[in-house]
Amino acid sequence: MSDLSRRQFLGLTGAVAAVAGLGLAGCGSTTEPSGDDATSTLTGSISCSGATSFQPLVEKASDAFCEANPDVSIAIAAGGSGQGLSQIAEGSVQIGRSDVYAETKLEPEQCEGLVDNQVCIVGMGPIVNAGVDVDDLTLDQLKGIFLGQITDWSEVGGTAGAIQVIQREAGSGTRATFEDAVLAGEAAPDSFRPVAEVDSSGTVVEQVAATEGSISYVAFNYMEGDGIKALTVDGVEPTQENVESGDFTIWAYEHMYTREDEDESTAPVTKAFIEFMMSDDFAATVVEEGFIPMGNMKVKKDADGTISAA
Amino acid sequence: MAHLMPKRRLENIGLSITGLCVALVALVVVTLIFMVAQQGLTTFFVDGVNPIEFLFGQNWIPEQERYGALPMIVGSFSVTLLSTLFALPIAIGSAIFVVEVAPGFGRRVFQPFIELLVGIPSVVYGVLGLYVINSLIKAIFGEAAPTGAGILSGSIVLAIMILPTITTLSMDALRAVPNQYREGSYALGCTRWQTTWHVVLKSALPSLMTAVILGMTRAFGETLAVQMVIGGVERSMPTGLLDPASTLTAALTAGLSNATSGSVYYHALWSLGLILLVMSLVFIMIIHLIGRKGAKANG
Repeated sequence: MSDLSRRQFLGLTGAVAAVAGLGLAGCGSTTEPSGDDATSTLTGSISCSGATSFQPLVEKASDAFCEANPDVSIAIAAGGSGQGLSQIAEGSVQIGRSDVYAETKLEPEQCEGLVDNQVCIVGMGPIVNAGVDVDDLTLDQLKGIFLGQITDWSEVGGTAGAIQVIQREAGSGTRATFEDAVLAGEAAPDSFRPVAEVDSSGTVVEQVAATEGSISYVAFNYMEGDGIKALTVDGVEPTQENVESGDFTIWAYEHMYTREDEDESTAPVTKAFIEFMMSDDFAATVVEEGFIPMGNMKVKKDADGTISAA
Repeated sequence: MAHLMPKRRLENIGLSITGLCVALVALVVVTLIFMVAQQGLTTFFVDGVNPIEFLFGQNWIPEQERYGALPMIVGSFSVTLLSTLFALPIAIGSAIFVVEVAPGFGRRVFQPFIELLVGIPSVVYGVLGLYVINSLIKAIFGEAAPTGAGILSGSIVLAIMILPTITTLSMDALRAVPNQYREGSYALGCTRWQTTWHVVLKSALPSLMTAVILGMTRAFGETLAVQMVIGGVERSMPTGLLDPASTLTAALTAGLSNATSGSVYYHALWSLGLILLVMSLVFIMIIHLIGRKGAKANG
């Protein structure tokens, strides 16, 4: 046999190995068990996926946390609340981020064994195009607008002109929160058509700024911008203080779901990271990023949206 | 060097490598179809959604467990047909000019130019559409199109996107017409326009149809650019060209991040994928049918 044929044979096996390698690469990243958990230095890598709304905040937390614990690595992926909840239910990540309660998206049996860590609060409020001469809406008026019953600004004290409703896409956490707080269980009739359904808060701001007579809703941290105006609801301004006191009712928890039966090799890291996110040291960053820390809340909200004193 | 190797072995090695490639492609296609079909059909067989209501239901409201895909089906088809309608005359017109009238200019200037258009990522078309086309529609129609987003904007953006595809393929189709046909026509005393219209276009018709269908396939499958300009309203039927709507692809991408795997909503999204898959199979079958007919017509 010549060495040429051997080379060709090697080439062929190389190709086969490359194809096989594609399949192997996916499962090659197992985490090393840390061995002794008693020591104070944390070791291990965890992954966290889900809601994009507070991903920047989690990334900041991760940067600070990993700096303090150099042997820890945290992989943060996007994907949306739905993905985050599916993946934590399957156990394919250690932390699943969500804007909504797991119960609203998962089957009851999937929720078993999930631990709900409410790490911070996001407040949301209505915004309108800067040209709209209305500054305050009652909760009932807001409800009428988003149910399609109120269609002209003159009906709520403004100059006559069509109200252009811009919605978030179906299934969005922001939309779910807003509708829970404003529509109180009622649903818009089939005939009601918003002028746009957009899939990110950034786009909402752009569209509201560009569309005359438009109204939509975003989280507090998106409320500043040229061409838009945040409204007060029942005379209450959308601020951190008003959410904490319970006067402003459109808000939701940001959840980081973990599993009760998490593997021992990663559980300490996950626990420490979530504790860090909720710690007083990190609260300043939470506020900086436009969210509200859990610490000062005087009210609480359950999965059905009922508000009670904390 | 290769002569050192026994011939039979060389044959076998060649056969196995190329065979492996074919098997791999076949495996990918079969797996893909199987997976989409399995997930997509779960909606009907496990979750109990009525397939007739799914295809013809006029409301897509996942939070109320209502899955009627007709608004998106109508959206997809209307942008596809409209964009083809917009792009086709321009594509064929420019193809005639650069093949029949100014071949030198066509090869040296126009071809590279149009190929550049093919290479532009769709997000660029989307941004362009969002800021130029939508604003334009808003400026022209005013109150009737408050955001400018809608079927018309989507169609215009798509028309620009599929223009290079149809143009390049039309140019190839016209070039493939044997020169003897043209010479025969000229010999009978026909003018250039008569020759182009009655001889060249007619004999290139099957290939031109293929060009159109391929353009339509691209329009039908395009996601990002359309999603950015069409408005994304899925909940009920669009009633006019200025109405915001959604397409199958746009609804699929927008929904997937919010759906939890295993839920009815998730399966319903796969069913949209299944519709897309079936439609592209139909498009490809049409292309093959035209190809076969064309081959017969040309002997």
